[in-house]
Amino acid sequence: MSHKEVVVEVKNLKVVFGKGKNKFIAIDDVSFDIFKGETFGLVGESGSGKTTIGRAIMRINEVTEGQILYHGKKLNGKISKEWDREITQKIQMIFQDPMASLNERAKVDYIISEGLINTKNFKNEADRQQKVRNALLNVGLLPEFSSRFPHEFSGGQRQRIGIARALVMEPEFIIADEPISALDVSIRAQVLNLLANLQQQNDLTYLFIAHDLSVVRFITDRTAVIYKGKIVELAETEKLFANPLHPYTRALLSAVPEPNPYKERDKVVEIYDPSQHNYDIQPPSFIEIEEGHFVLANEEELERYRTSLKMEVSK
Amino acid sequence: MTQTQSPILTIQNLVIKFTLRGRVLTAIRNISLDLYKGENLAIVGESGSGKSVLMKSIMGLLDKNGYIDQGQILYNTQDLAQFRTEREWLSIRGKEVAMVTQDPMTSLNPLKTIGKQIEECVHLHQDLKGKVAYEETLKLLKDVGIHDVEKRYKQYPHEFSGGMRQRIVIAIALACKPKILICDEPTTALDVTIQAQILQLLKNLQQKYGLTTVYITHDLGVVAKVADRIAVMYAGDVIEIGKTHEIFFNGKHPYTWALISSLPQLGSKGEQLYSIKGTPPNLFQEIKGDAFAPRNQYALKIDFVERPPFFQVSDTHYARTWLLDPLAPKVEPPEALQAFFAEGRRYAHES
Ligand SMILES: Nc1ncnc2c1ncn2[C@@H]1O[C@H](COP(=O)(O)OP(=O)(O)OP(=O)(O)O)[C@@H](O)[C@H]1O
Ligand SMILES: Nc1ncnc2c1ncn2[C@@H]1O[C@H](COP(=O)(O)OP(=O)(O)OP(=O)(O)O)[C@@H](O)[C@H]1O
Ligand SMILES: [Mg+2]
Ligand SMILES: [Mg+2]
Repeated sequence: MSHKEVVVEVKNLKVVFGKGKNKFIAIDDVSFDIFKGETFGLVGESGSGKTTIGRAIMRINEVTEGQILYHGKKLNGKISKEWDREITQKIQMIFQDPMASLNERAKVDYIISEGLINTKNFKNEADRQQKVRNALLNVGLLPEFSSRFPHEFSGGQRQRIGIARALVMEPEFIIADEPISALDVSIRAQVLNLLANLQQQNDLTYLFIAHDLSVVRFITDRTAVIYKGKIVELAETEKLFANPLHPYTRALLSAVPEPNPYKERDKVVEIYDPSQHNYDIQPPSFIEIEEGHFVLANEEELERYRTSLKMEVSK
Repeated sequence: MTQTQSPILTIQNLVIKFTLRGRVLTAIRNISLDLYKGENLAIVGESGSGKSVLMKSIMGLLDKNGYIDQGQILYNTQDLAQFRTEREWLSIRGKEVAMVTQDPMTSLNPLKTIGKQIEECVHLHQDLKGKVAYEETLKLLKDVGIHDVEKRYKQYPHEFSGGMRQRIVIAIALACKPKILICDEPTTALDVTIQAQILQLLKNLQQKYGLTTVYITHDLGVVAKVADRIAVMYAGDVIEIGKTHEIFFNGKHPYTWALISSLPQLGSKGEQLYSIKGTPPNLFQEIKGDAFAPRNQYALKIDFVERPPFFQVSDTHYARTWLLDPLAPKVEPPEALQAFFAEGRRYAHES
């Protein structure tokens, strides 16, 4: 574990929107590392700040405080031209809202090639066309689609254009923000297999943001759970699903719908009540409770979590 | 189930086409479908199979290059397929049928606060004004799980997260108090806890007002939770329809089998997930026989020649596959699925 190479380091990240009375702290002192070749999952409430973190790494959202390092080098703030060009190619994001992120007036052929053209990442016209063709086929779209405009597609087809556009750049690190939410389960499986193959072949690293926890469980190595701009728990994915400690994580996992109408009908979902913590009296900190398993808790809670971990092992 | 079996809306032999720079694409190929009053119908199926187009057509929301080529959409003695003017559609849209579209951002006005956008519908369709309309708007925002509603009322769409925007669109649809609510991927951008809350809200409304809902979703967990019936679509056609448990645990069409087999719950970590080989058909070309045949390992010769009729499996369950023809060889579903089916049947016995 300790020998793993760190690709992305997020250190005490804070992102604030607005000013004065409208000031809103979207990300509050968030720190985590992403290792080379892993798939790091980020899950949590809607509006908790997942996209904001992704966009901060992409340098779309300004970092208010803290640092983001890529291979040990600073991403935010003033950086050199060469470094800027390098990370523009190496870090790609698949955006959550495909419609809003695709240029409405451009044909798919251009949308997919745009990054290639900007970074001059192709040999000749034939090579460019071949790359676009492969990118489309890889995500289950027909090469003929390249002459169409975004609004002439179904939701899932558009989402796949966004994926193709990111993959064609041959990046090292991909931020995938709900990349497969609009895909049917079979195409979803195809895209997940593709991401896994690329990862094996090229040692790609992913930050994978998703609400579908069955997918997160299947594809990620480690998962962080975020609630209102703070990470409340982080662990190896299997560990997290087996022994969720933080009450928000527990609530989240209890709500995952299963593909079984009989089970779903009388399922009881745990509700998370943030007022259960006594943080006014004893503020929490982010503690490694067992190897690689972090949780946001105060002393009293840690004690309880430790006991519950012991109980788990003895079963 | 409270549903009476009287249809509130009937689609008959519907064909929808798009013209694209001189060529014609057939998106809906002769679909007939009854929507029953008070039911929850889920439409699942391949990406690009026509789910959104089918539902947009009953609201007059097809893109400009799309048109109904044949067929009828019967609602309250009217044939919506004959509607030509915006004015005609305005008598249906919102009040009778409301839709939560797939791309929330495109259905919100970026220049208006979300509070105003919801309140407009409250005013227009519930005939409320002033303070009452404002209060109703705040209530709707709370219902869809938005906090700090007074402050949020005054914010613009770009100040919301993806999932919040989706919930605003749901609030707008609910503000119209429709009889039929169509939700196109209503909860994809929502975490499971908010998702559960929204689905519960829709269920309550359904029980209270006899609302009829159509869910288009790829999330079979959501389908399991909310749907009474499921229609499975492939390449512009409904290829199987039945009660939820009938589709999940006794599906008959090989496409339905393939769909369920692709669930991550049926895969094992570190291994490839099952996915359907090949690509969906080119909709510019005429499709002969069963559109799924070229990708179907169980295809019969006739599948390449003649469109299968709906074979009846039960009173409520129909599937368009030649495998159900009495003369067809007997084919068992794939092994991985049989375990899934068996588990489902076990639950069925218990409950
Ligand atoms: N440009 C902005 N101006 C003001 N507030 C913003 C802006 N962008 C995001 N926010 C706020 O920051 C918070 C986090 O938003 P973010 O989009 O990161 O959430 P998310 O975790 O991705 O949610 P979802 O799962 O719904 O996509 C939200 O409360 C949102 O309203
Ligand atoms: N404006 C348009 N012009 C041309 N073709 C279109 C247009 N809109 C949709 N289509 C095509 O019609 C078919 C059906 O699209 P539809 O949006 O109904 O699919 P869907 O089943 O909703 O898919 P998804 O699950 O990906 O949202 C697709 O193949 C799509 O490419
Ligand atoms: Mg987001
Ligand atoms: Mg759609």
